[in-house]
Formats: sequence, structure tokens, C-alpha cells
Amino acid sequence: MLLENMKMAFHAIRVNKMRSFLTMLGIIIGIGSVISIVSIGDTMRSLFSSLYKDVGLSQAYISIGYWIEDVRDSDYFTMDELDRLKEIFGDRIAYIDSAPSISGEVKAGGNKLKFNLSGVDYNYQNVQPVNMIYGRYLTEEDVKARKQVAVMEAGAAKKIYGTEQAVGRTFRTEVYGSMTEFTVVGVYKKEVNAFQKLLMGSSDDTGAAFVPWTLLTWPNDLIYSCRLFADPGMSREDMNQLFQEIMFYIAKSKGRNSQDFRLTTAMDEMVQVDSVMGGLSAAVGGIAAISLLVGGIGIMNIMLVSVTERTREIGIRKALGATTRDVLIQFLTESAILSACGGTIGIILGIGVVFVGGNALGLQVVVKPAVVLLAVTFSAMVGIFFGIYPASKAAKADPIEALRYE
Amino acid sequence: MRNWWKRREDLLPQQETDELIRLENLVKIYDTGVLKVMGLKKINLTIRRGEFVAIMGQSGSGKSTLMNILGCLDRPTMGHYYLDGVDIASLSSDELSAIRNRKIGFVFQSFNLISRTSALKNVELPMTYARKSKKERRERAIELLERVGLGQRVGHMPNELSGGQRQRVAIARALANEPPLILADEPTGNLDTAASVEIMELFSRLHEEGATVVVVTHEEDIAEFTGRIIRFRDGQIISDQVNEHPRERRKEG
Repeated sequence: MLLENMKMAFHAIRVNKMRSFLTMLGIIIGIGSVISIVSIGDTMRSLFSSLYKDVGLSQAYISIGYWIEDVRDSDYFTMDELDRLKEIFGDRIAYIDSAPSISGEVKAGGNKLKFNLSGVDYNYQNVQPVNMIYGRYLTEEDVKARKQVAVMEAGAAKKIYGTEQAVGRTFRTEVYGSMTEFTVVGVYKKEVNAFQKLLMGSSDDTGAAFVPWTLLTWPNDLIYSCRLFADPGMSREDMNQLFQEIMFYIAKSKGRNSQDFRLTTAMDEMVQVDSVMGGLSAAVGGIAAISLLVGGIGIMNIMLVSVTERTREIGIRKALGATTRDVLIQFLTESAILSACGGTIGIILGIGVVFVGGNALGLQVVVKPAVVLLAVTFSAMVGIFFGIYPASKAAKADPIEALRYE
Repeated sequence: MRNWWKRREDLLPQQETDELIRLENLVKIYDTGVLKVMGLKKINLTIRRGEFVAIMGQSGSGKSTLMNILGCLDRPTMGHYYLDGVDIASLSSDELSAIRNRKIGFVFQSFNLISRTSALKNVELPMTYARKSKKERRERAIELLERVGLGQRVGHMPNELSGGQRQRVAIARALANEPPLILADEPTGNLDTAASVEIMELFSRLHEEGATVVVVTHEEDIAEFTGRIIRFRDGQIISDQVNEHPRERRKEG
């Protein structure tokens, strides 16, 4: 009988093709927009989390709090202090430096290019691997001796020297007021997707290179902020524990409270951004779901018209032995099928839009099966919910009245 | 709950009596709120199995009210209506649906076929509500359409058929569940004379084959096909006569 009802419903839908399609359109748009919006949100979240993974999730910065007014010289870090931290906390700290960077114009031959020079230690490679294509990375010797050497990004090398093979070439740039000449000792390649480019600012017209961080601690080797990488094998809790311990140690050694220091961890930041993004996409998805409600009302409207139009048919069916329930189920099936068809088309459309858009931007899109399932369930429920009133109206019709209806 | 869509067969009384219909002091009052209108005033009537009866009367005479009650579409206000030995007044609306489905075959003045639905599907409909299997429904529907002379038109939509043909589809549909009672409400009202004669001859044939047929009409020449003519006026029976010489149906060939 269920099959019979579905056949009847499909028959009724087919008989009024145009009207059925217009009715479905509300659901199609509703489901389509919910799916695409939530999927866009999920895609953004996954992009952000990959971005953070790229930067290093075990990363943290510690500095004297910006809210401290009586900052003393001793509140800054010295290079010795950083070395001591490493000794004390051992393997749990994978890497430590002061995260210095400068940006300015780089000149080589007749070419000029804006550059970001990041000061790093020789073992920065261990926590942030790069793909070396020519030459070598910075060595311990480079860092200790404050050698004026650089490891340059391939794209920038190509721009400034006309070739990626730039090992041995030199460039000049201003470092804290004095013109300094660097020699390129290595070239690395880095792939970035469209989204990362967008977030990090266009890297096309800005070159990047690593230089020994010891060059950038001028003038007095006092370091404002300390960058740590915990051992990436640690759990989130262990990392937080470690960072707290380090904070406590630093504060104690400087004769301050640990609350006077500021700790920023990549993990916390990511969780925060992720929750903001998640909330945002849920909110926007919720607004889109309102259009689904409108679609549902459209279905109810059409079903009411259909019930009125088919009053006589309902009368005939009842005279021939249809029970109240038979009629109820017939009309409920019809509205559920209308809504389910609309939902299916909406899902295909929504996923299609997301994939086409993602492909155009070169992004890996995320469409969660749970979201699709939720949308399907929701559309079927909309169909049944908004079908109940018209169907019960049909089912309650008095056969004598209905048969007399013209 | 698992089998809620299946008909409860125990609803359907199986007593075999010679009396198919018995009305005892049947009263129907229409309450319009302001005033009460007596549709039927204490009707007593018995129709035996195999009878071919015409119920006649002007509009407003109560014959439509009687038709609705006989068809189990409506319930009497007072009195009893026994159909096939069961008192209809005591049944719920779902039980009435089951009775209409199994015990009564309706033929209406305006045919009342479901539009944009093939003749075959229309004939299958009562069997669908009787939860018959698809194969059984199809075979029986084709057989019935052949019996009413529409074997070549099973796939036609109602709007592709003439009035007489539509009424024959309706008769085939009325026969679908082999009901003991065929109830026809002005079956020739929308037909021309030739088609009317055709339809009445079809009823005569069904009667000869043993069916109980009750025809409601206001046309004398239609009533003449039947074997018993009951006349109504103002909600009462004014005459109940045997028609000694029903109009003969043409012999085939």
C-alpha cells in the first residue's frame, strides 16, 4: 500500500509538472543554500586549521605583558637566558628563538624587491621543514658567527636574479640602519594555495628569506619576545603544561608574577578561530534554514490548493472505500515526496556549487556527510510537517459534501 | 501497529440472509442550526437479494438522502439500517469505509471517474483499497472492462471516452470487489437516450446474472427497466409497486 501511495503521489506530481517544480524550488534553494553555506564554512575551517598546522601547532610566544607599565631591562630576554631555558626543559623544547624579522627593500644588481627577512636558528628546519632545491640551510656556525648569509625562497630568487639557482649571489639591504650585504647559500621552494596567499598577503611582490637570527638582535641583544616550539609529539595538555612551567620559571627568574607575562599558543589561537568560524557558519546556515521554512510553507500552500482542487477526487476515493488514514497518507506521501525531490536536487546543486567554486579557487573543499544527512532529514521533515495540515483537511472531508463539490 | 494498513477482515459481517437491505423506522433529520428538516420520515423498506429496484421521486423528495444512507455515506438519525445483516448505525467511519469498499458498488450521475487516470487504474481503485495484490487487481480490472465492452480502451483517460463509455467504466469499477449491492444514483442523467438505454441494459444484464441493483431516478422510462418501483414524496414512501413487465433488453445478435 505504501508503494501504491508513492505511485499515486508521483502520478499527481507528474500531472502538475510546472506547479510541482515551482513548489520544489523553495526547498531546492533552501537545502542548496544550507549545504553550500555550511560546506563553505567547513572548508574555511579546514583551511584555517591547515594554515595553523603549517605554521606549527606546537608553537608559542612568551613576552612581558603589554599591560605592564614599569618594564625593566631585565624583563626582556637575553640569548643566554634562551639557552638556559633549553638546557632546563631539554627535549620538551624542540626549538627556541626570538622570532625576529625585518622587512625592507633588497637590492641586487639593478633589481629591487621588497623582502621579509626572518631570523631563525640553524635547527628551525626541524620544526618548519622547507624543501631545499639548491645549496644548503643555515648552519650552527652561520648563526654563532653571525654570518651574513641567507636562504632564499625560489620565486623571489627568480625575480631578483632571473634564476632560481641563486647560490653564491649577493644582495644588499638595510639592517637597523646600516647597509648590509648578504650571500645566498641556499634556495627553497614553498607551495602555497590561493587561500594562504589571500591570508598572508600577496607573496608575489614580496620576497622571503631566512637569515641567522643572531643578526637581528641588534643593538643590545635584548629580546622582547621568545618563540618556542614544543616537541610536536606532545599532547595538547602536555604542551600547555610545559608552556605554563616555562612561564613560571621565567617569571621567577625575573622576580615577577607569572601573570605579568603573556603566553600565546598557536593551538589556543586555532581553537579560538575554529570556534568563531564554526559559530559563524552555524549562524549563517541557520539563516539559510529560514529559506527552507519558506519552502515548507510553499509546499503547504500548494498542498492546500491541491486538496481543494481535488475535493471531488477525495470524495470518490472515500465512496470507494478509502479510510481517513488512506487519504491522509496519500496526501502526506505527496508532500513528503515533493519535499524529498526538492531536497535531493538542492543537495546536488549545493554540493555542485561548492565544488565548482572550490575548483575555481584551487581549494580542497569539505562537504561533511553529516551535513548532507541533516539536510535530507530536515527536508523530509519539512515535507511531512507542512503536509500534515492539508492532508488532515483532505482526510476529514465528508464524502457527501466532497462528491457534491464542483 | 505493524499491519495497520491491512483491513480488519472481522469488520465485515458474513451472515447470509435473503434480505439484503432492511430499513426499520428510519429517520433522517438535517439540523441546519436554525431549524430541523426531516429528510426521511420513518421509512420501513426491505430489498431482497437479486432484486432490481428503482427509487423514484422529485428533487427534495428524500430519495438522495435515502441514497446516501443506503450507500453508507451517511448515518440515519434514528432507526436501523441493516445491510447484509449488519446494523450500519452502529459502525465507525472506518468501518463504514470498509463496508462501502466491499458491500457496495457506486454508479453516479456524473460518472465520478478520477481524472487523468486511466480506465484501468480507475477500475483497480476499489481493489487497491481492499489491499488486493497488483496482479489480481490488473487481471480483474481487465476482465471487468471487457465485460462492459471496453476491452480495447483500458489505457484511455476519462476525457478520451464518451459519456456512455465513462459510465461503463464506472460500472466496471462498481463491480470490482464483487459487492452484493449495486447502487446507481441517476446513472443516465448525463447521457443521451441511446447511451441511457445501453447503460440500463447493462444493469438488466447484471441483474439477470444475480446482482442486486438499486437505481435512483426521476425518469419513468428508466424506472421501467426495473422490476420494482418505489416512489417517494416529502420523505415518505407513497407507493411500492412491482413492475410486472420490465422493459426487455435487446437480445444480442
